[in-house]
Amino acid sequence: MTTTEVRGTTTDDAGASDVVIPFDPYELQDTVAGDVRDPFPIMAELLAASPVHVGQIDLGAGASESFGPIEPVTVMGFDECVQVLRDNETFSSQIYEGVIGMVMGRTILQMDEPEHRVQRALVSPAFRSKMLERWEEGLVRTVVNELIDGFADRGHADLVKEVTFNFPVQVIARILGLPRRDYPKFQRWAVEITSVATNWDRGVAASEALRDYFAGVLAERRAEPDDDLITELVNVEVDGQRLTDEEIYSFLRLLLPAGVETTYRASGSLLYGLLTHPTQLDAVRADRSLIPQAFEEAIRWEPPVTVILRRATRDTELAGVTIPEGADVALLLGAANHDARKYENPDEFDMFRAVRQHVGFGFGVHVCLGMHLARMETRVAVDTLLDRLPDLRLDPEPGQDLHIRGLAFRSPVALPVSFQVG
Amino acid sequence: MVAHGIEIRVDTEVCMGSGNCLFWAPGSFDLDDDGRSYVLDPEVTDEERLVVVAGGCPVGAISLWRDGRRLDTGAP
Repeated sequence: MTTTEVRGTTTDDAGASDVVIPFDPYELQDTVAGDVRDPFPIMAELLAASPVHVGQIDLGAGASESFGPIEPVTVMGFDECVQVLRDNETFSSQIYEGVIGMVMGRTILQMDEPEHRVQRALVSPAFRSKMLERWEEGLVRTVVNELIDGFADRGHADLVKEVTFNFPVQVIARILGLPRRDYPKFQRWAVEITSVATNWDRGVAASEALRDYFAGVLAERRAEPDDDLITELVNVEVDGQRLTDEEIYSFLRLLLPAGVETTYRASGSLLYGLLTHPTQLDAVRADRSLIPQAFEEAIRWEPPVTVILRRATRDTELAGVTIPEGADVALLLGAANHDARKYENPDEFDMFRAVRQHVGFGFGVHVCLGMHLARMETRVAVDTLLDRLPDLRLDPEPGQDLHIRGLAFRSPVALPVSFQVG
Repeated sequence: MVAHGIEIRVDTEVCMGSGNCLFWAPGSFDLDDDGRSYVLDPEVTDEERLVVVAGGCPVGAISLWRDGRRLDTGAP
């Protein structure tokens, strides 16, 4: 196995990102998603023909790229996606050694069993729902309240630009215990490393800068432990195993695309679903205990990450389709969550539909580590918005075309709202 | 709620502590100190929800049984 760890520079300089360049992170993030409005009808058509496709497919952004002599495979059916994600011996995660591994370093994302299980056991205690409870009031609700303070007396706002884009990165920064003065630089690195596909050099520079930055934070926490995630990762020990410093740097970098980008997009799509369905919004406003089921429906309806990858380790067969060893396998979680064999009216946002399993958080041993954090953060954000902004409603400019957009990542383009002041 | 008489079994060798069961059926599951799921009270969660929880376990560690027979939850 080749090593793809990205090593930081040995200079004292924190990296190119310290140079101040006019930069609007909000402008940058749209370029990585894929400029597609509604891929679901094409997915449904392909899925009806076969839940598994061999060869390139076109979901509206041009034919998918092919990287080798073996034809890529696309899995769209719900049961077929579940089958692949449960069979992690036949379908390996090593495919992530490529782009993501080169930028983030070696992480649980690209590991197979048994290595994955050992590593995940070390980082997972910090992400259990009981451990997360202590962040809920003082930390998450404070972040959301501060963002709302910025526009509460204005009577209108764009909730994407002013809330959903900002709150997950601030929550992560606080959970890591970073000093407030570092938030702008941290948010900038977060966007740069997440959009590495559009600017490789800038993404790699951000990765190196983050490694150097975290090295300093780790040293501080060793000298002076605190109640934060970095101290937990430094101290964790399971069956005599501990995380090395490099493993901690890689894991922390992975938190940015995995914990910031996804929550920003998922919380936006939940708000879009509610704001465009006033009856459901009213129900949630009246009974906040409905927020979790509304969020699960949003994750089913518009999973923020619509595709994950595996590579076949041996010749196999799925839904009668032959998959050769070495084939890249793309799992379209968005298509699976809209599989008409599993869900009635799959394209509808309906938080009152009968609860079904979905694959919006993935499935199998790699199922989203941060799903309980995402659920808690989003629940607190929606709850706080409804508390602070009476009569919250969608209020687009005349002719403004509101919709959810993207292919690999999806979220609403804007959420212009009005509300009562006072 | 009418008692459904379901017995829940968790294969702790397979469980990887995702906590998904606890999220969907908080009175029926919890995680131990090692992060493994264990069963609390099956009866506080209705049958339909239990089937979703068992079928929705990411690693298929949960099975449901009644009168010595395994129920179909869609899990392997």
